[in-house]
Amino acid sequence: MTWPSFVFPFGAWFFLALVPLIVLYFLRLRRPRQVISSLVLWQAVIDDQRVNAPFQRFRRNLLLLLQVLILCLLVMALMQPFFSEELDSGEYVPVLIDCSASMAAVGQDEQTSRLDRAKDQVRALFGTTNIALFSFASTGKRLTEFTRDEHLLQQALDRIQPVSLPGRLDDVLRVTAAYARTHPIDRVIVFTDGNLAETSPVELPFTLDVRRVDVGGPNAGITEFNARRTGPEDWDVFVRVAGSGQELLETKVQLYLDGRLTAEDTAEVAVDESERFVFPIQAHRPVLLEVRLVPQSEDSLAADNVAWLSLPEARDLRVRVSPNLFSWQHALQVLPRIDMDAGEQSKRAAYDLMICDSADRQGSEAPVTVYTGVIPDDLRDLLTIEEDFAEVVDWDRTAPILSHVRLSQVSIGQQVILASGADEGDLEERGYEVLVHGATGPLLLQKRQGLNVSCYFLFHTDRSTLPYRVAFPVLVSNVVETALKRASLSEVSAAPTGVLPPVAVEPNREYTVRTPTGERFQVTSTATGLLTGIPAAAVGRYDMLDGDDVVASVGTGLLSAQETSLAAVEEIRFSELSVATQEAAEPRPGTEQPLWWILAALAFVFLLAEWWYFQRPREAVG
Amino acid sequence: MRPGMHPGGVRPIVTGSNQQMTSLFSNSVLNRIERMRLNPRRRLTNRARGEHLAGKGGSSTDFADYRDYAAGDDIRYVDWNIFARLRRPYIKQFLHEEELHVVLLIDASASMLFDDKLLRAAQLAAAFGIMGLLNTERVSVYVAHQESERPAMLPPGTGRMHMRPLLSFLEQASGGGAVPVEEAIETMLRFHRGRGIAVVLSDFLTFRDLSRSFNMLYSAGLEIWGLQILGPSELQPDVQGDVRFVDCETGASLDVTGADDLLNVYHAQRHALREVIDGQCRRRNGRFLSTDASEPLDRVLFDRLCRSGWVQR
Repeated sequence: MTWPSFVFPFGAWFFLALVPLIVLYFLRLRRPRQVISSLVLWQAVIDDQRVNAPFQRFRRNLLLLLQVLILCLLVMALMQPFFSEELDSGEYVPVLIDCSASMAAVGQDEQTSRLDRAKDQVRALFGTTNIALFSFASTGKRLTEFTRDEHLLQQALDRIQPVSLPGRLDDVLRVTAAYARTHPIDRVIVFTDGNLAETSPVELPFTLDVRRVDVGGPNAGITEFNARRTGPEDWDVFVRVAGSGQELLETKVQLYLDGRLTAEDTAEVAVDESERFVFPIQAHRPVLLEVRLVPQSEDSLAADNVAWLSLPEARDLRVRVSPNLFSWQHALQVLPRIDMDAGEQSKRAAYDLMICDSADRQGSEAPVTVYTGVIPDDLRDLLTIEEDFAEVVDWDRTAPILSHVRLSQVSIGQQVILASGADEGDLEERGYEVLVHGATGPLLLQKRQGLNVSCYFLFHTDRSTLPYRVAFPVLVSNVVETALKRASLSEVSAAPTGVLPPVAVEPNREYTVRTPTGERFQVTSTATGLLTGIPAAAVGRYDMLDGDDVVASVGTGLLSAQETSLAAVEEIRFSELSVATQEAAEPRPGTEQPLWWILAALAFVFLLAEWWYFQRPREAVG
Repeated sequence: MRPGMHPGGVRPIVTGSNQQMTSLFSNSVLNRIERMRLNPRRRLTNRARGEHLAGKGGSSTDFADYRDYAAGDDIRYVDWNIFARLRRPYIKQFLHEEELHVVLLIDASASMLFDDKLLRAAQLAAAFGIMGLLNTERVSVYVAHQESERPAMLPPGTGRMHMRPLLSFLEQASGGGAVPVEEAIETMLRFHRGRGIAVVLSDFLTFRDLSRSFNMLYSAGLEIWGLQILGPSELQPDVQGDVRFVDCETGASLDVTGADDLLNVYHAQRHALREVIDGQCRRRNGRFLSTDASEPLDRVLFDRLCRSGWVQR
């Protein structure tokens, strides 16, 4: 049986009014005295009534009982009872509320968002059982412990605001699954707009009840914003605008360069359609680009109407090559916009690419480093080099530096031998990925350390036929391309919301970050002069302040085709089962509707009945 | 004091004419009463001579039967003519004329002061008394009102010469006590001797059982004539809503909610009470009649009592 919940339970204090009601009733009940000849007959009447009418006592005080009933009904109406979902009162139910960007989509009235609708649905569950509120976008966040305290839950619910992040269930489901170890959780209710990934790797230890809130009209948004360098100071800026409505939605696309309108165009998009715009610009210094959409008609979601892109300073790729690696030097010399340093001593402390034939870096750093004929120190116990003939057995064709590189029939004069009992799993445990496999061991390893990438040719390339193969210049070109991307010198993509990309500043200094919402917080740069891990949940421009001076600015955009589409998945496939997303029903009549008006109507009916009973015309009794 | 309740007792309702024999009823009614006589069911009479013929042998002039002579019989009743013919003595029996004792017991408790019930009781008692006196029965009257007190009593008398004292006694009868009718009966029997009719005029509104007192009446050789007198306030009570009833005799109170809704039950109880008393009277070869104090006296006397067989014209 489901007991009703009360919106205003403190109204129960008004039940104390029963006390004065009863007292006043009995004080008022002064019966008129009537002297009669004898009580014989009336006593017999009362005795007869008590015998024949079991509810005589009730009938004697019918007026009082009716008044008590009316008062109780009125007090209960004041408490505003309502029936909620058919939840077991002892159940522990985590309620996950999607607050991703698409949940901010508003409907035709432009007042009620998907999140508002979801909150209404969640509010109906309050007081029925133990509820723990979670919000999630790209990550999950627990808002309350399991509680029945409606005030606490309401406060937590009020704190939930949509964020400019894509929605993902995985993280919050893992958090909820952790709670299932300490609480008997049988099911989890998810309130979402269904704008989620169709698959999830999470194994569900509970039943998932996904309730979809569909609100929103047509929408147009920026889903891609990047730039490609076409000349020393020339960039092509690409902007993709996608739509979600059935009808074509016209919108203006405006490009601002350091706050100045530079280009403008008009897009017409609908569902499953997108338009790509190319704006050629020139920039010889770092600039901040902003693209804005100005919808010419209804637009459900505002968060995807703006995006930011930082263009770096236009310069050549700075490459340091060991002086003995002639083959690499020759291959690099033919490539454009390369500033190569092949001297005995390195000229700079920082390069974009380093190609070394020894582990000695001479004090220089680079985000991309290629070693040739070098075995990493931490692998010397697993790998040994023997002077023997070796051949390439297989290679990872999806690795960026091996793209379009054919290594078959490459002869190698050094053989890398994996220690007895060791396998590639041991290498992976130490952070190395095997890109090229030999007969007796790996030939090319890749290791990622933070943002830096190091590639280790375990054999010396000059001891192989690789420099004489067509694959070699392709390999060098891939390495340069990777370095260019790392240095943002060839392609730049706008940063999506979530975490800001690393910002280069002075090392080991404290800076203030000013968010688009005006909030400020302190961050400290790393020893390498980077500000990393800055959360960016809102779309807009983030300024790094040193005191009051802006030392760097980075902008973010939603840039999520999934969020812009406002589409909902019908089913989410988990590792072992699929869960259908069902549209959340309106508050069910008789179950979720408030009952106060029914009680008030009943009180009115009882009032009328009382009036009729005591004021009805008396019939002559003979 | 409640309207309809007479403060003292019998209210003189007929006054202003010197020719009136009594204030209880008019002379025309009196004349009609004088031509009526009581009609008892059984011949419960006294040994003394009277106008009622006893079934057993008596000394009247009306022959009844013969029987064999037995030793000790009065030889004056031997039929010597039969003896002469048959040579055997036979006793000649005559119908015995004995007196009928009429006991009039008036319940004059406070409840009888309502709605002139005591007046009506006095009127009826006077009527019964006159009928008895003029038919040479011995009429005595007891008026009981106070508990544990000797009732006001009119000693037995007979003949027209006792009519004036009877009427005076009844005219001056007062009420106001709290004696229950069964106790009044038992008290009366402590003073009365004689067989006949006991006319009990009361409202019979008592909590106790009347069986014992009726048995005592029956054992005393009195035929029980129960005459219940109820007033309009008892026959058609005007009550409404929640009322606290107060017993005028005992002062006890009873709270009744929605009294008007209980009138049907009230009337059922009233009829049940009447049936009970009627049954108790009939089981003792008596009579019972329930009357309305507001009903015209001549209708009660000359219509209902006649039709019920209480009296004969």
